[in-house]
Amino acid sequence: MRQLLIDIFSFEDRPRFERIGFLIFIIIVLLFPWIVKSAYGRAVMIKFLLFALFGLGWNLIGGYGGQVDLGQAKNVGFGAYATGLMMLWWGVPFWITVPIGMVIAAAESFGVAYPMFRLKGHYFAIATLCVALVWKELFVFWDWTGGARGVEIPIRPTPNFTYMQFGSPVHYHYFIFFLFLIQLLFMNWFRKSKLGYECQAVRDNEDVAASIGINVYRTKVIAYTITGGLGAMGGSFMTVYYLYIDPDFVMPLDLSILIAMTVMVGGAGSMWGPIIGAALLIPLDMYLGAWLGAQKRLGIDFMIYAAIMMVIAAREPKGVWGIIERMRRKRIG
Amino acid sequence: MLLEVRNLVKEFGGVVANAGISLEVEEGKIMGLIGPNGAGKTTLFNCIAGYYRPTRGKVFFEGEEITGWPAHRVAKIGIARTFQGMKALPNLTVEENVMVGAFCQTRDRQIARRRAHGIMELLSIREEANALPTELPIAVQKRIELGRALATNPKLLMLDEIAAGLNPIETKEIIQTLKRIKEEKGLTLFLTEHIMEFIMTISEVITVMAAGRKIAEGPPEMVAKEEKVIEAYLGERYAKGPSD
Repeated sequence: MRQLLIDIFSFEDRPRFERIGFLIFIIIVLLFPWIVKSAYGRAVMIKFLLFALFGLGWNLIGGYGGQVDLGQAKNVGFGAYATGLMMLWWGVPFWITVPIGMVIAAAESFGVAYPMFRLKGHYFAIATLCVALVWKELFVFWDWTGGARGVEIPIRPTPNFTYMQFGSPVHYHYFIFFLFLIQLLFMNWFRKSKLGYECQAVRDNEDVAASIGINVYRTKVIAYTITGGLGAMGGSFMTVYYLYIDPDFVMPLDLSILIAMTVMVGGAGSMWGPIIGAALLIPLDMYLGAWLGAQKRLGIDFMIYAAIMMVIAAREPKGVWGIIERMRRKRIG
Repeated sequence: MLLEVRNLVKEFGGVVANAGISLEVEEGKIMGLIGPNGAGKTTLFNCIAGYYRPTRGKVFFEGEEITGWPAHRVAKIGIARTFQGMKALPNLTVEENVMVGAFCQTRDRQIARRRAHGIMELLSIREEANALPTELPIAVQKRIELGRALATNPKLLMLDEIAAGLNPIETKEIIQTLKRIKEEKGLTLFLTEHIMEFIMTISEVITVMAAGRKIAEGPPEMVAKEEKVIEAYLGERYAKGPSD
């Protein structure tokens, strides 16, 4: 038990500069609402934390597990709809809907993982993409999910912690930061765990992994299941933050790809990669889009965005974190 | 008998890679498997370790039939193997490479790490603990692989061309290391190799394969004189002695 707590909360095994960097990051996020007063700036920060959270979860299968999953949006959708529908129908408190959403997403992931991991590499990636698209179409098609009209969450007159509705973005800022920290600490445990090492062994070489007693297939299924559950948590947040969800908003292909991209740009399979990736791409996306949009130059932001990603993908497959790591290793010699 | 292979046949389509191989590996011995390219040595290894399902025949380990078991299950009961070519996990440090093997028998990270440290000490790669395998010379990478296999705590260690790519000095070193760990851990070794010098020095028993069949078996000095073996390696002409 004590060892478990240490594994969750300790960053002792990381080099000093990483720990200092992480501490500075925490302080900036904590003080952020006092420094930045603009509503747009705060919205950018919240979106950054949300995508950092998505990235952390995706990193488990995509980074540590090395399986390119292009369907994470379906799990976001499961979380968002679990929270939205349960609140709408029965007035279930937010904190009860979150674990339920996560369990639903994990159960679905477990179910589809079984046939999907008969496929490898690109074929697996295509399968994940297809499964996510099928779910999105079903949510549009079905009546009980609100169809294409989506779900509107009834607005509560007073700020409240049961339904996590607040008047000011400051509350949401700390709220998403809290969820983000939960996933960060989970990943901190994961990367040191037996499962974490097994995933990395499977990613690096499946034959070698099997030779040291790792059930490759089972490891992939477990990793994919956990990733599903983690994705749902962010979905639940989206429901109470935006107060309106529909399939095009919470489960589109763009979302799946953006989640995968942030991790790849930041550095897949590293502790900090997803955070760095989200810190680069989300502000870029939102500021560039708003700025160019105001000048009636729509679409140029996507080109710039794509160009940055191509450069990173071509120059350093391990992302920004890969560049930092390499520089550090060189310096130590 | 620690390992027993009975009449093992492996066919790939019409190609017969192993045509009814039977052999026994005695506990505590060093068994060598030699044969020219394409003799079916690696196929036999893969059939024993669970990478291929034998077409016919049986494999027993400590009296238990393990024919057709998946590789991870074979590893768990005490058969560890290394692969031809460089197969250290490239994105894990040396320490992590060995540790991931130790996780085969425990969930606990501290135990796995302690075992990894012990094995790195034994193989004298402790100083490289935090390096990545790709930064290190081939001889060290071979030791990492050996360490990873040893960390699973095997009874039988199967080494597929562990000395390939090593120079004569490094080959001598690995022979000494293998003999030492065999004594210390009470292991049984089963190895294939091209380098005759290596396999003749280290093995106590040698099995010779050619074209998917076992053609000879016995102590190294005997096998080396066997006519069929010379024929398989050098061609018929030399087996009968040079005619001109």
